[in-house]
Amino acid sequence: MIRLKKVSKTYHPNVVGVKGVSLHIPAGEFVSIVGKSGTGKSTLAKLLFAEERPSSGVIEIGGWDITHIHNRDIPLLRRQIGVVFQDFKLLPQKTVYENVAFALQVGGAKPRRIREVVPKVLEIVGLHEKASRYPRQLSGGEQQRVAIARALVHSPKVLVADEPTGNLDTLNTREIVDLLQKINEFGTTVCLVTHDREVVNRLKRRVITLEDGKVASDVEQGRYKL
Amino acid sequence: MIVSSFRVTKFAFQNFWRNFWLSVITVSMLVMTLITINILLVLNVVTEEAISLVEDRIEVSVYFHDYVDEATVGGAVEYLRDLAQVRDVETISADEAYEQFVERHSDDEDIMASLDELGGNPFGPTLVVKANSAEDFELIIDALDNPQFRDDIREKDFSDYQEIVDRIRGTTDQIATFGIALTGIFLLIAIMIVFNTVRIGIFIHREEIGIMRLVGASNWFIKAPFHLEMMFLSLLAVGIAAGIVFPVVNILEPKFSVYFGTQGAGIAEFFMENGLWIFGGQFLILAVVTIISTSMAMRKYLKV
Repeated sequence: MIRLKKVSKTYHPNVVGVKGVSLHIPAGEFVSIVGKSGTGKSTLAKLLFAEERPSSGVIEIGGWDITHIHNRDIPLLRRQIGVVFQDFKLLPQKTVYENVAFALQVGGAKPRRIREVVPKVLEIVGLHEKASRYPRQLSGGEQQRVAIARALVHSPKVLVADEPTGNLDTLNTREIVDLLQKINEFGTTVCLVTHDREVVNRLKRRVITLEDGKVASDVEQGRYKL
Repeated sequence: MIVSSFRVTKFAFQNFWRNFWLSVITVSMLVMTLITINILLVLNVVTEEAISLVEDRIEVSVYFHDYVDEATVGGAVEYLRDLAQVRDVETISADEAYEQFVERHSDDEDIMASLDELGGNPFGPTLVVKANSAEDFELIIDALDNPQFRDDIREKDFSDYQEIVDRIRGTTDQIATFGIALTGIFLLIAIMIVFNTVRIGIFIHREEIGIMRLVGASNWFIKAPFHLEMMFLSLLAVGIAAGIVFPVVNILEPKFSVYFGTQGAGIAEFFMENGLWIFGGQFLILAVVTIISTSMAMRKYLKV
């Protein structure tokens, strides 16, 4: 469950990221956050995984007030929130397997657990046969699936996907959105930040539209309206 | 924890190899700093040995009149031996003094003829007094003015070695001051190089660090490889410095024996006996310096 109460984020000197945003996203929901460029979508996503701190308001994730989260607690939060970006953020010198395993390694997981978990998540994203390939040997869609696999290794309660299809063609976009839906079906709350009309309209799930940093609309089974 | 420590160590070594030439420069600078410190140590040992050698040769010869009896001389010896400043008192009787004189001048006919003319033994007993240090001689000379036997003493012969000792100390103090200043400069450069190495390391690994943060790596896990890498570089620098210092002092030692006699200056022995403390201490100092420098660089450039 994600709850935002009158959350604002202002950047120095007077640039507004988001302003007075209040939201409630129940556990297991699939939410699309849409809006034009510069309307605060990415800021909202960053607030969810504590990459940014709100200037005012309250943010709760699973009952945990992360508004003023201490630096030392951020790693704990990040192990409960998977994050996926438009630019994949994979390590080019590591294989698919190593990229996914890396998330567990830095979290202190034992080798045995890594050997168990990594093949499973690679199976979920359909890349178990390409585990030994390097990112440069994969298509954009496959690279994004590696990034999603990496986000899933900690079995997160929430998956925040910030423009995950921004660099992908239509076919790969569909595959990624299907994968996100599959993950959501397993019970993970998915927050999809996008400006892709096709994606939003095809999903037919809850749509939160941002305009000038404020929530312009919040519709169950909504469509892309901008 | 063991698994994480192993991974941190692995990442630290990866950092080292990926920035190999930067690591080489950092280690070189640290080695130069340590070599300078060790040169200062050698200088200190050699100076102390030289001063001790000079002090060892300093003595006061106290010549008594030929009429002074053994009991009076014995009293003077007792008195002198009771002084804390006196290391040793050697007594040369009148007969021994005569024999030594004859032996020394047996080839000189004129002197021997003069001695014969005097008839009998013109020498009185002599005391050879050795002090603990050069500074003590003034006190010993003053003590010999004791009215108890002042009038029995014909002559006191004391060469002023204090000036030589002062000159040795003065020269070595100047060299040491220069060495300390040089160490300070090298240390400052080393701190800046360590700072820069960490800064570049953070820049090179910024992508990896970003992903680490994203997937929930603890701050310790992100920072520790940098600290460990610098610890490793410090250890390597100390190892190289020790690898240079030990053979060099062993090569130098025989050369010093020209000045210090067969026992040499004792620098090789000094490093053999205290090597663990010397290089262990240098590693600890270097470790503290690199930890501070690394922390400063991480505070500035690593936002975790």
